[in-house]
Amino acid sequence: MDHAIQTNALRYRASKEFEIRDLALKVPVGSVYGFLGPNGSGKTTTIRLLLGQLRPAAGSISVLGYDVPDQTTQMLAHTGYVPERPHLYPSLTVGEAMQLHAAFFKSWDWSRAEELVTQFGLRRDQRIGRLSKGETGKAMMMLALAQAPSLLILDEPTDGLDPVARRDVLSALVEYVSGGDAAVFISSHLVHELERVCDWVGVLDKGQLISELPMETFKNGLKRLRVGSAPAHLDDPPFAVLAREGDGVSAHELWLVRGWQDPMHQYLASIGADLREVIDLDLEEGFVELLRTARTA
Amino acid sequence: MFEQLDSRSPTPLYDQIAARIRVAVAAGDLTEGDALPSVRRLAGQLRVNPATVVQAYRSLETDGFVEMKQGAGTFINSVADDRRDAERESAARHLVQQMLVEAKRLGLSRDTIVGAVKREIGEA
Amino acid sequence: MFKEILRTEWNWSRYAVVVTVIAAFALPLVAIQPTGMASQSLYDTTAIMNLMSRYSPWFGGLAMLLGLVFATTTWGADHRGHHVYALTLPIPRSQYVIMRYGAGLLLLCAPLAAMWFGCLVASAAAQIPTGLQAYPYALSLRFALATVLAFSVFFAISAGTTRTAAYVLTALLVVGLGQVGINVFGLDRDVLGWILDRLVVWPGPLEIFTGDWKLIDV
Repeated sequence: MDHAIQTNALRYRASKEFEIRDLALKVPVGSVYGFLGPNGSGKTTTIRLLLGQLRPAAGSISVLGYDVPDQTTQMLAHTGYVPERPHLYPSLTVGEAMQLHAAFFKSWDWSRAEELVTQFGLRRDQRIGRLSKGETGKAMMMLALAQAPSLLILDEPTDGLDPVARRDVLSALVEYVSGGDAAVFISSHLVHELERVCDWVGVLDKGQLISELPMETFKNGLKRLRVGSAPAHLDDPPFAVLAREGDGVSAHELWLVRGWQDPMHQYLASIGADLREVIDLDLEEGFVELLRTARTA
Repeated sequence: MFEQLDSRSPTPLYDQIAARIRVAVAAGDLTEGDALPSVRRLAGQLRVNPATVVQAYRSLETDGFVEMKQGAGTFINSVADDRRDAERESAARHLVQQMLVEAKRLGLSRDTIVGAVKREIGEA
Repeated sequence: MFKEILRTEWNWSRYAVVVTVIAAFALPLVAIQPTGMASQSLYDTTAIMNLMSRYSPWFGGLAMLLGLVFATTTWGADHRGHHVYALTLPIPRSQYVIMRYGAGLLLLCAPLAAMWFGCLVASAAAQIPTGLQAYPYALSLRFALATVLAFSVFFAISAGTTRTAAYVLTALLVVGLGQVGINVFGLDRDVLGWILDRLVVWPGPLEIFTGDWKLIDV
């Protein structure tokens, strides 16, 4: 198996206005892949396609080496899933939900499940319907992790959770990943917490994958420069200038550039510009700028 | 020790983690034979990708600060005094670098900075 | 796996099972209640036959109700969650549906057994004049078949998406309203009656619900 998830020319028409087209995802084995995109970009639809719940109009999907949707059942045995909205049966208790889950997933690990219940502060006799949002999120994550899956597909797993629950969930996730080659596919619009955890990032906008890169490359690719005395026109710069704007306060300009490297400050000196600062963009800013340039292109 | 890791900083996360361990060794907080937390535990605690922790430990191993023992964990090596001093100096210079970058951003001259440092540490 | 499915079915159907067991046991007893020692005038063949006919529709109605209630408790939780949980279990959908059906049938055995038991008790307790006989086995068997049929139909409707279930029930409603509309416009066509006839007169599938349900008969 080359990749944990691989799609090829995937196409699906979700509605009249919205179509997923030409989607070519490649999630490497053992990676933590952050699937970013604004709301409505098609993240959840993509996940439902990957899980075999929707049938694509064209293209192929391979998850853990299985063809989806033809071999969906075999694939699901090794896949843990946490959906955006709670999907567990509300009248069962946490313990009953664990028993139900364990009966269907042969790789279920009871000792891991017990550990997670303790770690998350859940109780087996609590009814799922009565759990708070944070507790529900933790319960779903506990079930998915105790399955000992080869792939975890998480759809906005921390959205709406309080900070403590969020930390608990991410900690448990990272600890699980440390254990072996499980791959994790997290879709989220909460960019901040993903940037420490993910080593790959794919950006979806309006049904199209506009970028798919290792996390470091993505973050380092874009920088902001604070430049004083900048000439109006640049002759053949060694980097790509994506945007120039005033900083709103002084006479300095803020440039958004791609492909910046430190020695290039000499170029700026040579054109009489004063390089005041090189600002690294965090993942969120990089993501916003990427979307902005992709949409105006 | 690992509070406030900054994902926005130009310094990659693994470097920040390794730097803090180096400083702790230089200050004597970690001594020879002390065990660093397991990759799994530290990654979970910091909520960073485990590969990042592995990279941090490896870079420390390359610099001779730690030894990664298969199956047992990662342990602090004995560090010679002059090495410790070199680490302290390196940490101090890093601090000064950060200050100078900030000063440049604010457009402060070198003399202004030096004067301010002298005043602050009590030598006018 | 089936054991766990059965366990969740029980979790959802507990109250329904208890209530329907009581109702199924009670109905035959209630039906024969006026017969007996007290009034000499009731020790009368015709009177008893009329009594049986009076309670007859209740049996058919209870069978239909049982089928509906158990189909609802079987699928209610899945519908509310839009089947998401069941769709991510690593078994084929058909296998899941069959297990749910089997679990539902198994739980239905409780009220069906209660009906049978009620019929036996009622037959033993009733004062039956000569010329009439009690048919507890026939009645409870017919009840069981009717219940299973109703359960199967409602189960099949509910097993699909909530949308499909809505479509089917709407279609039934449209046919019903259509008939009313036809009558209102004075057209002398009995579509609904024709459909019902096809279903309800042998060899129609719903024939089992019609006619008299009598515990005591000639």
